[in-house]
This record gives sequence, C-alpha cells and structure tokens, in this order.
Amino acid sequence: MNTPILSLKQVSLTLKGNAGAIKILRDISLDIKAGSTLGLVGPSGSGKSSLLMVMGGLEPATSGQVRALGHDLGAMNEDELAIFRRDNMGVIFQSFHLIPTMTILENVATPLELRGEKDAFDRAAAELATVGLQQRLHHYPSQLSGGEQQRAALARALAPRPRLLLADEPTGNLDQANGDAVIDLLFSLSQKTGATVVMVTHSRELAARCDTTVRLRDGRISAA
Amino acid sequence: MNKTVPSWRLAARIARRDLRGGFKAFRLFLICLALGVAAIAAIGSVREGINAGLQREGAAMLGGQAEMSFTYRFASDVERAWMAQNATSASEIVDFRSMVVAGVGDTSRRALTQVKAVDDLYPLVGAVKLAPNMPLALALAAKNGRPGAVLDGALINRLNLKVGDVFTLGLQEFYLAAALIFEPDAAAGGISLGPRSIVLTKDLADAGLLAPGTLFTSKYRLALPPDVDLAEIEAKAMDAFRDTGLGWHDARRASPGLERFVSRLSAFLVLVGLAGLAVGGVGVSSAVRAYLAQKTATIAVLRTLGATRGLVFQIYALQILLLGLIGLAIGLVVGGGLPMVFGPIITATLPFPIEITIFPSALAEAGLYGFLTAVLFALWPLAKTENIQPAALFRAAFGTVDGLPRRLYLLITAALTAALIGTAATLSPVPTLTLYAAGGIMAAILVLVLVAAGLRALAHRLGRSRALRGFPALRLAVSAVGGPQEEARAVILSLGLGLTVLATVGQIDSNLRDAIARDLPKVAPSYFYIDIQNNQLDGFLNRLQNDPTVSKVQIAPMLRGLITRINGQVPDGEHWVFNGDRGLTYSDLPPENTVITKGAWWPAGYAGPPQISFAAEEAAEMGLNLGDTLTVNILGRDINATITSFREVDFSTAGIGFVMAMNPGALAGAPHTSIATVYADTAGEAAIERDLAALFPNITAIRVRDAIERVTGILSAMASAIAYGAGVTLVTGFVVLIGAAAATENARVYEAAILKTLGATRLRILASFALRSVILGTAAGIVALFSGSLATWALLRFVMEVDFTLNWAVSLGIVMAGVLVTLLAGMFFAWRPLATNPAQILRARD
Repeated sequence: MNTPILSLKQVSLTLKGNAGAIKILRDISLDIKAGSTLGLVGPSGSGKSSLLMVMGGLEPATSGQVRALGHDLGAMNEDELAIFRRDNMGVIFQSFHLIPTMTILENVATPLELRGEKDAFDRAAAELATVGLQQRLHHYPSQLSGGEQQRAALARALAPRPRLLLADEPTGNLDQANGDAVIDLLFSLSQKTGATVVMVTHSRELAARCDTTVRLRDGRISAA
Repeated sequence: MNKTVPSWRLAARIARRDLRGGFKAFRLFLICLALGVAAIAAIGSVREGINAGLQREGAAMLGGQAEMSFTYRFASDVERAWMAQNATSASEIVDFRSMVVAGVGDTSRRALTQVKAVDDLYPLVGAVKLAPNMPLALALAAKNGRPGAVLDGALINRLNLKVGDVFTLGLQEFYLAAALIFEPDAAAGGISLGPRSIVLTKDLADAGLLAPGTLFTSKYRLALPPDVDLAEIEAKAMDAFRDTGLGWHDARRASPGLERFVSRLSAFLVLVGLAGLAVGGVGVSSAVRAYLAQKTATIAVLRTLGATRGLVFQIYALQILLLGLIGLAIGLVVGGGLPMVFGPIITATLPFPIEITIFPSALAEAGLYGFLTAVLFALWPLAKTENIQPAALFRAAFGTVDGLPRRLYLLITAALTAALIGTAATLSPVPTLTLYAAGGIMAAILVLVLVAAGLRALAHRLGRSRALRGFPALRLAVSAVGGPQEEARAVILSLGLGLTVLATVGQIDSNLRDAIARDLPKVAPSYFYIDIQNNQLDGFLNRLQNDPTVSKVQIAPMLRGLITRINGQVPDGEHWVFNGDRGLTYSDLPPENTVITKGAWWPAGYAGPPQISFAAEEAAEMGLNLGDTLTVNILGRDINATITSFREVDFSTAGIGFVMAMNPGALAGAPHTSIATVYADTAGEAAIERDLAALFPNITAIRVRDAIERVTGILSAMASAIAYGAGVTLVTGFVVLIGAAAATENARVYEAAILKTLGATRLRILASFALRSVILGTAAGIVALFSGSLATWALLRFVMEVDFTLNWAVSLGIVMAGVLVTLLAGMFFAWRPLATNPAQILRARD
C-alpha cells in the first residue's frame, strides 16, 4: 500500500495579526507513509507547530490541500474535523493540556467517551497502567509531576488507537530523564499500535530516531 | 464508528467534572441574578399581600358586605324596601365636604373637612377608636343641648381645638367629644382633601348642609345573610336599580380606587425592577464571559479530542443552567422572605391591610423574569464558545473570542427578548407603558453598548497618538480603556443603565413637583367654592366683584350624574369616566374660551331634545362618536342625550372643567348648586374666605394651595418608593462594577509589576488607575444623563402630558455619582497591584 497516510500539496498558512498578515507556511508539499515516524525540525518561528496543527485539522490551511487517510481536511467543517480527529488522531502538546478539573483517569477516558465507548474507563485505566501511572488514576494533573503529566497526556492520545499521532515538542517542558522516558514510551507504544508519528522537536537526537526528518525554515521545507 | 451516547448525558458528565473547579467564578453571576429576582419577588409579594389584605378585610374596609350609594339624594322608599328584603341590616351614611368653623368674628378659624354623617348602626363592621377612649354613640350623644362630634387629629390641630370646645358645621353647633384615632372604613373612601369629621345625620337637620342640589353621597352599608353570593346579589340590585343611578360596591372589591393605585404603583416598581434585572443581566453576561475565558484552554482541548461545537455548548449550558437555578432560588428566598422579615414595619406603615405570607404567584412571576433574563444574557457568550478554535491552545488568544454567534443564536436571542417583553406586558396592568419601557431599556442597552465600543475605539487610537506623549499616567489609562479586555463595556453598561433609571426617576419627580407645586399655582385659582345655592349667587358675586385683590371669578352650575348606558348598552370598560358619578354642567352659550373640535354647540335658546357636548380627549379614549346617545342618571332620573359636539377641556390648570355639558332645557327643574373658582392675590384670600363663610355657612371653600400640597405629598411618597426601587438597580450596577474591577485585578497586578520594573512610582500607577476609572465613570454618567433625560421627556410628554425641563442639579449629580462610584471601585482594587512585589509576579509568569 503506497498511498501516503498524510499528504500535503502546496499548503500555505497566513495569519492576520495586529501588525498585518503574517505568512507562517509557504507552499509546503509533503507525503507521509503510514506507520512511519517523521521529525519536524527547524529554528524557532519556522512554522513547525503550525504545520503540525494544519496536519491535524486544528488550523485550516489558507491554500493548498491536506489529505489525511484519504480525506480532504479542507472540505470538512469544524464538527466533521473534530469527529475525524476523535476517530483517527491523537495529539500531544508541549504543555500537556490536561483538563485541570478532571482526574487523569477521566482525562484519558474523555476521547473514548466522546466515541461512545462503553468500557471507556476500563480502557483508560489499562492505558495509564501501560505508561506506569496505575497508582495515580484518581489524581488531578496538579498533583502530578511534569513527566507524569506528559505520560498521562500520551495515554490520552493513544487510548483511542489513533492511526496518526501528532506530538508538538513532547519533551519541551521536561528534564532529560523524564523526556527520555516519555519518548521511549511514545515510540514503543506507537510501534505496537502501528500509528504514524509526526513530531515537532528541537532535539537532533530525537529527530535522528525518526524514520524521516523534514527541516523547516521561514515556513518552507529547507534542504539543509 | 461506535454507538453514540446521548449527548446531554455525556455533556452532563463532563460538565460535572469541569465544575470541580468551584463556583468562585460564578459569584458575580449569582449575586446579579439573585438581586434582580429578589427585587421583583419582593415587589410582587407586597402587591399580592395588599390585594389579599384588601380582599380579606374587604367587609371591614367597606363597612359592610356590600354598599349601595346614590349621589345627591337619599335612597327612595322602593330602594329601602329592597334593602330590608335582601339584607339583615343596613346602615346609612352621608358623605360630603364642608367647612368646620371654630371661633367667631376676626378670630374665627376655618378648615375643610370630609363629613361622615352616620346613623345609630354605624359601624356595621369593625370599631371606631377615639381618644379619649369611649364608644362612638357616647361621643356623638348631645350634651348641654349641643350634639357631639369627633374630628380627625389633624383638623383639631389646625383649628387649635381641644376636647369640649364648640365649633359649627353649616348653621349647626357641635361640641368636640373626642379625637378620631381609627376609622375602620377609611381606606375605602379613597384620598380626600379634608380630614374626617363624624356626626349623627339627624343632628344636621338644621345645619343647612343637605339642601336639594347640595353635593353629597348617601351610602347604605349592608350586612347580608350568610352564604349569599355577592355576584348574584349585585346582579339583582343592578337589574332593579341600574337606571336610578345606583352605585354598587361589595367586599370582593372594597376599594377599587385603592386597588388601582396599588396596581399602578407596583407596575411602575416592577418596571424599575426589570431595569434592575437588565443590569443584573449585564452582570450575568460579564460573569459568563469571564468564566468561559478561563475555560478556553479546556474547551480547546475538548475540541482537539473530538468534542463537537454542539457538545461544548451543551456542557457549559448545563453548568450555567444549574448556577442560574441556584441564583433564582436565592433570589426567590430573599425576595419572598424580605416582606416577612419586615412584616411588622410594613403593616404598621401602610394605611390599609396587608397579608404577610408567601405568594407563589408573585414568586413564579419573578422566577420567570429571572430565568428568561439569565438565559438571554448568558446565551451570547455561551454561543461564542463555538468560535473557540483548537488552535487557541497555541496562540495568545485566551479570553478573546471574536465574531458574532451563529445566526441561529441571534434568532434565539431575538425570540427570548420578545418573550421577556411579552411576558412583562402580559402580566402588567399597564401593558402599553410596559412595552414602551421595555423598548426603552433595550434601546438604552444598545446605546450603551455602542458608546462602550465607540469609547474603546477612540481610546485605542488616542492611546497611540502623539498628543498623550509626556503624560504617561493618562496614556496608560487611555490605552487600558481601549485595550482588549471587556472592562469598558461592563462598566458602562451596568453603571450606565443603573444611573439612567435613577436619572429618569429623579427627573420625573422634579418635573412633576415643579409642574404641580411651582407652575400650577401660577395658573390655578386660589379657591374652589362648592354648594353655592342659586339664591346665594348674587350675594356671592357682590362680595367679590369690587374686591381689588380678585382678578377673576368663574361660576358654573353643577350637577353630578352617572353614565349608565351608551347607545342603550351598559358600558363595559375601565375608563375613569365610568368610575362613579361625574360632574356635569349646562349652558345656553359656549363658555368663554371653549374650543369645539367637532360638531356644533346647540343654538342659543335651544329647547329641543337633550344634547351633550363631550370632552374631546376622553371621548376619543372611550370611542365615542357624534350622534351617540348617552344615558345619564341624575338624582335617580335617566336623561337620554345625544352627543352633538366635542370640545377641548384642559384639566391641568385646576380650573373649572366638565367632561359633559348639556343644553339648559335638558336639566330644567333638576335641583342643583353652582361651583365657582376665585382667582385672588394672596393678600386678599383670608378676608374673602372669612367673609363668604360668614355670609354663607353652607358653602364649602377648598383652598387650592392646600390641595396642591396634599397631592405633592402623595407624589413624594410615591417617588420615594420608586426611588428605592431604582436604588436596587443601582446596587446591582455597583455589584457588576465591582465584578468588572475584580476580574481585571490580575491584569492590573501584572501591569503594575512591569511598570514598577520600568521605574514607575506607585503614585503614577495609582494615578493611571484613577484616570481609567474617571474616564469610564464619566462616560457612563454622561450617557445616563442623555438617555435618562430622553426617557423622562418621552414619559412626561406622551404619558403625563407635562412639559419637560432639564433639572441640571439632578443631571450633574448623576454624572458625579457615576464618576465617584467607578473611582471607588477602581481604587478598592488598586491596593493589591500597588502592594505586590514585581519579582514575585514576573517569576510566576515565566
């Protein structure tokens, strides 16, 4: 099967700010194979996170086409995108973004509940056990360390068995030890589930672990 | 795709978890909603309590289970026989105005009194209280050849009398037996110009006060057999005596006039309460907006995880619905409970009965208003959660969600607004006024929103202009006003609306007082004289004609009649012209300054069938046309007259004005008296009153200035009540103001930390905060000045038909109040920013 799981064709993103229009991405064309890992690298402000958001349908492209799992994301409305993400994608953020008023068990169960899974909480508990948080199920994010929060976020992203996992600097707010632990988990679990991983990172070592690396500079894919 | 869980259940689960963050963010929401609902609930409870009290005490207030009344005459034999047949007892009362005279010659004192001449059975229900304490019968019994009388304390003081002193009513001397402390049927009599005096009817036989044509009302209070149906017996009485001029009241509505007064006053108070609820709604909207701003990250995460916009809306709608119900409950408990807490004071203060208890209908009304308001004002910020993009997690967009909600929500907003206004109009006894007032409130909100937006835009530009360079405190203040936060709108809306209501109430009060107490005396006569017998007219005019202090005398014959039919049909409707008998006159020629608007006056010497010239404005209100036939019962006799003209009648000058004028032939032979208005200099008034009283003891003089004072006093009491209601609006506005200041406190802390780091002194930072408050308060005050003045002009011009004058003292007071209140709130929340260590704040932000 040679059809890419994610395909971008001449995608551009321009945002309107107080100082006028800002071109974030310029004519990005990219194909990502299913089951592979892709590292997005580049200096700060090169558009890495924005490209990740466009890939996930979290930010609509200004022009060009984004196809994920054979679906044109640009042709979907807000709710269709939300449902598509629910059924096919997982997202991990640098700042974790766990919902503060929910326990980590509830956080992980939420995407499963959104899909109407009756055993959402059982599966969530199992997923948290996989990342080593079985003793902290009923704790709130504020009661966890940074590393533990990111592991919980990883569990939440992987619990629905997404085909595509998007990670935005998942170790950006973690120390080396925790960061390594999270990355090891991320790679092993995604391999186990067969998910395609697209990861934004500043780390050369992390980028080297990916099957492919794409470098961005000034919103464009750079050769060097 | 897995089976979909019913979304409300899922939304409820997620909503419950999300609320673990606590209700702190909803404090403002709860307070604003509870205040508005409590005010309306309290007003409604007092209104229902008064109505219940009037119903419960109806018989006591009326002085019997039913009352039959006749104007100008006593009941006929046939009517008395009917009473004997249908009632277990009947007590006769004669009610009329007269003059009490104490002393003789130059030292005599006179005062207007409302005389109640009674029989031995009075009172049928309840008891009269006197000081010294004694039975009424004993007080009215003759002593030393003079019959006894009781007078109201105010009359005794005015005439400088003491118990045992002698005074005259007409030609009859009485001695003062006791002061009247309590009269059980006082409230049913309505507002009178003169304090009460009570005598026995038989003792007036030689007083010369009840001659034919004299203006008096006879009332027959009936005690009825048990289990009699009041509606049935009323129908029976009207069938028998409608065409003899019978007036009927019974315990179901002992005092329709009082009921109307209470109903109108509470309608005004509810309108003011609705304005308060609108201000509360602004607070609700601000609170919901602030709460959802804190939840932007959570909402963005949920959207990232796959929650649809609809689900997000449901989650937060459920939370707000729950909090709304809590706010409503608090408001209803407070509003329903307040009258019970202050029950003893209210009962002691009101001159009529009130029942102090919980009235579910009043609470339901307040609850409905509160619910609609909460939903209306929460909907917009709630709907805008749909505009929160997941990408908000990656951009500094927290707290600002641009764009309008979807069209569906705009339609729902319009529908809710219509429902709220429609409900208010339906439940109000003055629906048209309610519609206008509600429209006015909506318009005021719109104007305030536009002003806030305009001020923000102006401040945004001004903050960057060169003009403010070198004035850092002012530039910071202006930039803050024009910044992205919602403080400007919340302050201007909440305070502006509260001040607008207060400005409107204050201006209406001052304009009405001016119209009555200042302008009216310039055009009003000095005296109204009534009960001038025909054979006294020449003597009356002789006394006045050569008096240099008298500028004008107007005289007109007067009778009183009851309109019993229009075009042969019993009139239905609540127009004031039908409420009891009306004064009418006759004249061969049109009186001076008569303006006929339609039709024609009868020719001089006309001797044909009866014709009526009717007041044009009242005719229009009643739907009368030229050619209509009115049946007017005068002294028990029906006169059928055709309306042949309409004319302008201006009642506002307090001069002579009759709704109905007939040709002389229509009233030939009917016993009647004349009334007169006398326009005189103040210097001559006392002599005129003394001389005329000496010449004609039966004539009653009403000093117009006294009447004006009485009316002004009543207006003041009403204005005070309405001002208290407006005060609640202002308190709610202040709460919203505090909420807005509190919501921006953290931003000010951060701002102050940076400024201190850059070298700004605390004084300069404080000055910036103060200027910000002054700018917002001034804007709110100025809008209130204009919108309050406009509302006042509209109400005075179209409802009360009084000229409008801008009261600068009230207006400037309002603006200053706006500035002061905003400044106080701003300064209260300036302490923490000024006191905080910059390093602490900036480190926490990294």
